[in-house]
Amino acid sequence: MWGVMRRPLLLGVALAWLALPPGSSVAAEPPSLTVFAAADLAFAFRELAPRFEKATGARVTLVFGSTGNFAYQIREGGPADVFFAADRSFVDALVAERVLLAETRTLYAQGRIVLVTAKAFGPKLTELRSLLDARVRRVAIANPAHAPYGRAAEQALQKTGIWEAVRPKLVYGENIRHTLQFVQTGAVDAGIVARSIADVPEVDWAPIDPALHVPLDQVAAVVRRSPRPELGLAFIQFVNGPEGRPIMKRYGFRLPGEL
Amino acid sequence: MDLFPVWLSLRVALTATALTLLIGIPVALLLARRRFPGRNVLEAAVVLPLVLPPTVLGYYLLLVIGGRGPVGQALAAVGLELAFTWGAAVLAACVGSIALLIKSAQAGFETVDHQLEQAARTLGRSEWSVFWSVTLPLAWRSVLAGAVLAFCRALGEFGITLMVAGNIPGRTQTLPLAIYDRVQGAQLGEANALALIAVSVVVVLLFGLSRLARLRY
Repeated sequence: MWGVMRRPLLLGVALAWLALPPGSSVAAEPPSLTVFAAADLAFAFRELAPRFEKATGARVTLVFGSTGNFAYQIREGGPADVFFAADRSFVDALVAERVLLAETRTLYAQGRIVLVTAKAFGPKLTELRSLLDARVRRVAIANPAHAPYGRAAEQALQKTGIWEAVRPKLVYGENIRHTLQFVQTGAVDAGIVARSIADVPEVDWAPIDPALHVPLDQVAAVVRRSPRPELGLAFIQFVNGPEGRPIMKRYGFRLPGEL
Repeated sequence: MDLFPVWLSLRVALTATALTLLIGIPVALLLARRRFPGRNVLEAAVVLPLVLPPTVLGYYLLLVIGGRGPVGQALAAVGLELAFTWGAAVLAACVGSIALLIKSAQAGFETVDHQLEQAARTLGRSEWSVFWSVTLPLAWRSVLAGAVLAFCRALGEFGITLMVAGNIPGRTQTLPLAIYDRVQGAQLGEANALALIAVSVVVVLLFGLSRLARLRY
């Protein structure tokens, strides 16, 4: 029986394997650029990348995720050409290790945080102090231990003098998008997230005074082992150029001095 | 909708399951049949991937196969790269799933009556032949169950893959990574469609296998 059954089974598996396209089907036909970008850039870059492709004829592969993970992967040879980090500490460390090209290090935004309220919660909260309201049962922020926006949220709550009072209500998101999801799904009533990702239908947002936290300098740089550093630098310049800036601003990524 | 993650995941999971069977069955047989020094250590090592958080496991694996790790450098010396390729996704799937196959197959092999194997040997069968004609036929349901578990685990592998293969669209973005990416990017429609595909694949597979399992030796 084993012999009878085994052969068609193995044959089927082998055929299925062969019928599947190879894992690395995307060969580098036109010059292609892989961008590792912090999760909060997802919306802005999805709009921006096609324009860069049109302008240069290059293909852009966008990979979004946690800045800390990316820093680790790039150090271990991750196939990024450009790294857009959510803060500057990771980039500066990699520049010091000569993994990133120091001369390409560019400030592309100063992050802003906003107070978001789940629409399911009801009244839109407009100031941090309203988090003390007993009707607000749970508040989401990104984990201050490793997420830059979480640190900024913590500082803003401390400066407002309500950190200790709000603390029992806090829920930590793994990253800023995860934090927004807590609010989007209505799992928590309110939260503090990046301005850049707050334009979703399920939540309302109100600005938080940037003087309440240290500036969230967001820095990009080209990876040293990239085979096309000039294309990577071109992408950074495009983001900061006349076509990129308006889009970045629209998603809340402002440079110092930008209105 | 881009179906690349579906094909990639099927290929990764099939390849990983094949490798898992190849490596896992001898290990299961060893654990079931032999008493040797370090056996307990091996048994613990086998289940270790189930205990460690996948992302942490991924960190360690990347240390080994990454550009600066021993394996990564040895491979680079012969012009190969494993980290951040679909091969890394296969490795991740194997590491995450092999314990399920080994433990299940081991349990199966342990219930096989030694006297039947002895009888085959007295009739002049080689060890190889005893395995194929006596041991495996008597334990095949356990092996099959283990293989199904391993395949499903390989198909759903997320944390290790994210670290060692990256989440690169069109190259190493497997089905679970793609679903996660769509959820993160607020593209819930696509996320749901991909999740439905993942579930369908497993349902079809389990249905097919349950029919297969009704066959007898």
